[in-house]
Amino acid sequence: MGCSSSVPSKSSGLPGGLNSDNGGMVDAKNLRVKLVLLGDSGVGKSCIVLRFVRGQFDPTSKVTVGASFLSQTVALQDSTTVKFEIWDTAGQERYAALAPLYYRGAAVAVVVYDITSPESFTKAQYWVKELQKHGSPDIVMALVGNKADLQEKREVTVQDGIDYAEKNGMFFIETSAKTADNVNQLFEEIAKRLPRPSPS
Amino acid sequence: MGSDSESPTSSDDSTSQNPNPNPHPNSTSIDQSLDAIEDQLTSIALAQPNDLASDDPASSSEEEEVFKDAPNGSVLEEENQKERNEGEIVEEEVGVVAAEEEVREEGRLGWRRVNSEVEVDRLSSPSSSGYAGERGSSGGASTASGIEEIGEDRGFDGNGRGEFFDGASDSQAPPWVPGKRHVDEDDASVSWRKRKKHFFILSHSGKPIYSRYGDEHKLAGFSATLQAIISFVENGGDRVKLVRAGKHQVVFLVKGPIYLVCISCTEEPYESLRGQLELIYGQMILILTKSVNRCFEKNPKFDMTPLLGGTDVVFSSLVHSFSWNPATFLHAYTCLPLAYATRQAAGAILHDVADSGVLFAILMCKHKVVSLVGAQKASLHPDDMLLLSNFVTSSESFRTSESFSPICLPRYNPMAFLYAYVHYLDVDTYLMLLTTSSDAFYHLKDCRIRIEMVLLKSNVLSEVQRSMLDGGMRVEDLPVDPSPRSEFSSPHLGQSRIATDSPDRFREAFAGIGGPAGLWHFIYRSIFLDQYVSSEFASPINSSQQQKRLYRAYQKLYASMHDKVIGPHKTQFRRDENYVLLCWVTPDFELYAAFDPLADKALAISTCNRVCQWVKDVENEIFLLGASPFSW
Repeated sequence: MGCSSSVPSKSSGLPGGLNSDNGGMVDAKNLRVKLVLLGDSGVGKSCIVLRFVRGQFDPTSKVTVGASFLSQTVALQDSTTVKFEIWDTAGQERYAALAPLYYRGAAVAVVVYDITSPESFTKAQYWVKELQKHGSPDIVMALVGNKADLQEKREVTVQDGIDYAEKNGMFFIETSAKTADNVNQLFEEIAKRLPRPSPS
Repeated sequence: MGSDSESPTSSDDSTSQNPNPNPHPNSTSIDQSLDAIEDQLTSIALAQPNDLASDDPASSSEEEEVFKDAPNGSVLEEENQKERNEGEIVEEEVGVVAAEEEVREEGRLGWRRVNSEVEVDRLSSPSSSGYAGERGSSGGASTASGIEEIGEDRGFDGNGRGEFFDGASDSQAPPWVPGKRHVDEDDASVSWRKRKKHFFILSHSGKPIYSRYGDEHKLAGFSATLQAIISFVENGGDRVKLVRAGKHQVVFLVKGPIYLVCISCTEEPYESLRGQLELIYGQMILILTKSVNRCFEKNPKFDMTPLLGGTDVVFSSLVHSFSWNPATFLHAYTCLPLAYATRQAAGAILHDVADSGVLFAILMCKHKVVSLVGAQKASLHPDDMLLLSNFVTSSESFRTSESFSPICLPRYNPMAFLYAYVHYLDVDTYLMLLTTSSDAFYHLKDCRIRIEMVLLKSNVLSEVQRSMLDGGMRVEDLPVDPSPRSEFSSPHLGQSRIATDSPDRFREAFAGIGGPAGLWHFIYRSIFLDQYVSSEFASPINSSQQQKRLYRAYQKLYASMHDKVIGPHKTQFRRDENYVLLCWVTPDFELYAAFDPLADKALAISTCNRVCQWVKDVENEIFLLGASPFSW
């Protein structure tokens, strides 16, 4: 197992997975992290990523196959940069068994649900448990309620999200990929919470 | 007939042809047919596996004739023979003999051998599968197929939303739009029953898995009925392959715990429909692998629909390709025309990559192959390529970013997933790198970066785009004079000739092919290469419905040529009110050509010879040579 042969491991990683370098860091000022998005199908994972990476929103639903890979760099106030290498996974059931392939070694997991769908909230909890069991022990987890623009159809309260996130030591935010609400904030907040390497 | 006048003409046909032998066209709705089937299950001797070959033109008046109960339809054959215009055929055979002289002058083999085969064909043609029978039975019956094609076509292309029996309803969006239609329908809907071609996947416990039209969950009862038919026959120690009910054919395919059913009134041959079911099954395996069977071992009532979530577009795109992509019945792939050196350049870099642990490296543009390389001893079946490219091109998400997805190649190993790295290099051109290693993403990403750099530097990508614009072989560019061709002739397939020219060379001035001897279209399939080349559609095959009709005619021709019971045949010359169709099968290639219905036979034959020569002259550009990834 381990990393692909062409990419030398820069840090001792967890075994296996799609790690270029264990989602690790390049240096203290320029971090590189592996981020995985998980959640039920149709909650808007790809839309969040495309909004974040390309500033686009495409209302036509395009079902993700397997997982898409995108990257985006965020500059923080303290003049550090964080390059997110994002695995946008497919939400379909048939890919659930393959999820470890994508979340193994991830430094960040973003678990997404749709605030209009209690089922997707249940599914999000499944993913949180799965990550707690099998993810990196120091993984940064965010719980995201997407489609916040659909207030009138809301079925999962903000409080439910906050409560669940708090119980599980997660960062919580509600976003709308459609209006771009809170999408950048989500990634900036994650970037801030990343463990910094001790300067050596 | 002129392209513009085509549809009015056909509509006229449809009214004038109504006195054909189906007095109650609406009385054969599927459920009634199935009722009839159930009623008869107890009394009918079960169909023998071999009873199923021939298509059945005259069945329309006999709803009772549920199973194909006359082996090879001896009765029907006689009927057909009676009704067929025998005189024309015999006369035309003579035409072949006359043509022989001319062919021999050109110093090629082919038609001389063909000539002797024609005799055989003539003897066997009355039973030469459904195709012969269908065309042969009264003018009414043969244009009846025309009516239905039109009806279907109008629904499909006119509305761009799927096949409608009545051609009404839905919006005007011209291009085909992927995705499932009419999810609101179920078997109680009149519109649903009128769909011309249904496809179903169900489990052996009768649970619906996929339906082309309508909501699977609402079709549970219908699914159970299909399952009951299959298991009833299986309980008798037999297998049901085809049920004929009026003008509908119900084709069954059993794959372990997975049942596939097609219900169609498109008059396509049984072999074609079964082949389509095989491809649908293959597409499902590509998504899930055959290990899905284990779920049924654990729980026979397992509900598989969630596992296929989001794949409606993949199946609907595959079903759509049944009416435009010759690869679906030729079991061959086609290449984008490119200068030999350009394709070599692409192949070289793919080869480098394949040496570094990539199982298959495939560069494609839409459904056409630019180049492909397999690792040593790895062979890629054309059907797998079709299913893979259908999967990739129909799934929009591949276009947005680079992806890494598990896929299974059913002909390579139906039990195991491979991992596909997919990346679009431009709007139509995409690279697929297949590996057995789930960890290889970053390696494949590096490979892609290298490949992309080389392709850009060597202008392959711009050549690809230019070729897309230029199109492929055009019948009007068929070289006239045989003499200058000899200098181009490649002595042998696989011996490369560096082509310095562009597709422009295809466009040599040409005259004299129009008029009654006019060649309209051809498909040439190289058996050795597993590749085919199809000419661009030209006047008068302009509209997509005409293209689909011709495509279906080829499909029938293919099925009749490859008939297992009375075939295979070497040649077939067929004239009806739509075309002259000529098919020629040799150990090296198969040629399917469509001519003006008034085309002169001798001229048509010599034209086919010229087409074959032309294909050989430009084979370096239209085929991927040397790679032969299919031989071990």
